[in-house]
Amino acid sequence: MLLLAAAFLVAFVLLLYMVSPLISPKPLALPGAHVVVTGGSSGIGKCIAIECYKQGAFITLVARNEDKLLQAKKEIEKHSINDKQVVLCISVDVSQDYSQVENVIKQAQEKLGPVDMLVNCAGMSLAGKFEDLEVSTFERLMSVNYLGSVYPSRAVITTMKERRVGRIVFVSSQAGQLGLFGFTAYSSSKFAIRGLAEALQMEVKPYNVYVTVAYPPDTDTPGFAEENKTKPLETRLISETTSVCKPEQVAKQIVKDAIVVTMGLFRTIALFYLGSFDSIVRRCMVQRAKSEIADKTA
Amino acid sequence: MLLLAAAFLVAFVLLLYMVSPLISPKPLALPGAHVVVTGGSSGIGKCIAIECYKQGAFITLVARNEDKLLQAKKEIEKHSINDKQVVLCISVDVSQDYSQVENVIKQAQEKLGPVDMLVNCAGMSLAGKFEDLEVSTFERLMSVNYLGSVYPSRAVITTMKERRVGRIVFVSSQAGQLGLFGFTAYSSSKFAIRGLAEALQMEVKPYNVYVTVAYPPDTDTPGFAEENKTKPLETRLISETTSVCKPEQVAKQIVKDAIQGNFNSSIGSDGYMLSSLTCGMAPVTSITEGLQQVVTMGLFRTIALFYLGSFDSIVRRCMVQRAKSEIADKTA
Repeated sequence: MLLLAAAFLVAFVLLLYMVSPLISPKPLALPGAHVVVTGGSSGIGKCIAIECYKQGAFITLVARNEDKLLQAKKEIEKHSINDKQVVLCISVDVSQDYSQVENVIKQAQEKLGPVDMLVNCAGMSLAGKFEDLEVSTFERLMSVNYLGSVYPSRAVITTMKERRVGRIVFVSSQAGQLGLFGFTAYSSSKFAIRGLAEALQMEVKPYNVYVTVAYPPDTDTPGFAEENKTKPLETRLISETTSVCKPEQVAKQIVKDAIVVTMGLFRTIALFYLGSFDSIVRRCMVQRAKSEIADKTA
Repeated sequence: MLLLAAAFLVAFVLLLYMVSPLISPKPLALPGAHVVVTGGSSGIGKCIAIECYKQGAFITLVARNEDKLLQAKKEIEKHSINDKQVVLCISVDVSQDYSQVENVIKQAQEKLGPVDMLVNCAGMSLAGKFEDLEVSTFERLMSVNYLGSVYPSRAVITTMKERRVGRIVFVSSQAGQLGLFGFTAYSSSKFAIRGLAEALQMEVKPYNVYVTVAYPPDTDTPGFAEENKTKPLETRLISETTSVCKPEQVAKQIVKDAIQGNFNSSIGSDGYMLSSLTCGMAPVTSITEGLQQVVTMGLFRTIALFYLGSFDSIVRRCMVQRAKSEIADKTA
């Protein structure tokens, strides 16, 4: 009796695995796609740009320093797979002023067409004990890591919703999944990104726009080197629990997850709730569209 | 055979439940304690102040509007239980400038002694679609909800660590446990508070300072009325999944958890379920809380608890070693 129930369960699970790709989001095709990478001149951002470029995408690199942008552009162009590919560089501070960011996206779209995928990789990291960190650090990290992800996302979201296609990638951190000694300012900013992403995904899912939040571990980048300069001993010891990754490896995984959105773990009740929230959102959208049509024909 | 194993398991669990209070933090005694409540002139903050006052605490209310502060003070003083209790009011914007906040805490400590418990309840809420929210909203909500909690906490933390006693309460939200439609700006700020609290708790645990993060649901307050003004339909419908709470009920729970030093404060059975589900890598303050999470969330939580234990022991060891080398330097 128990064996029969177990067999049914296994068969059901196998069926779910087979059906799952049919109801998952359609993967985004990178060849010819316009990918914008903020913080694209170094570290994980640059590696993500390279990874997308290798797969045929057209890249817009956004960062502050023009020299670093040009250097990154040269490096990325080595990986071209055809003659038509382009790497566009635009210099701006994505956290300063929304209208500047909006302008940058507009420029990029005029040259390379609407944005298919936005990768928010602009960010910085500082570690130190809560009372030792400079007071301005809390605001600064939140500004660069959080607002610097809000502004570009906001600049592309309307077009993505209209075109019914898009990917927005946020780069959080393992420190955005758990708060660690020395990361009071950094963890908060990376947790904030997760809250933003969850709320945003719920809003844009019926429009076929998918949000990916990446949680890289310590990764061997210039940003990480900066972080190590002031890292307290406790933080260093705790961080030795995981090993340092290579940015190329991190980038590969992020791009893979952004293209093919993976879903679902067994959080049964939560999944049912999420399902009902999504259907509420979809219903309201449909009703709103209907009433607009009714207004026009009236 | 199976029955014997089951009996042993039950006995073990019962033993844990009995031992747990012995190794949990010692509850904070409210009578005579100095409690600072930011955002204390209305809503949940005011109810928390009343709840602490009823239990004998001395209150410092911190908010921007002086009239609302005085009104709240009158209301709180009705609940006094002895002649010595005091409600002090100080007007400041806790998100503007750290040195102002530092000053305010200094003033409060000169009058009522060192702060035993800080309740960061200053906050605001705005809902709307991501592209409809005014751009300035993202910065404003983060400033009030997050920085407005960072600054007061930073102003009291050194003294709490020196005295080896303290409670810091952060008021997040259920929207700080899951991101919801319409809350791109609000959820981010409330998630940020959780990140801050988790990291801070790891730093201050060996100093007997406990951090509590509260996750209230929709609560019937002026702040909630504000939020409802621009709330999109989807958000309203989704929110109808849980019912609106009374702030007195929320305040009671928060104060109870804060006194006990519980990291996680949730309200109602919905809140309990959500907190268990989203406990992630958050610390536990009692073995029983951890046990319940393991049973309800599976094997992975056990592994995470071992990690947290080793982090805490690393932090403690460093603190002990630093103290030892200071003594060695002095006697050399």
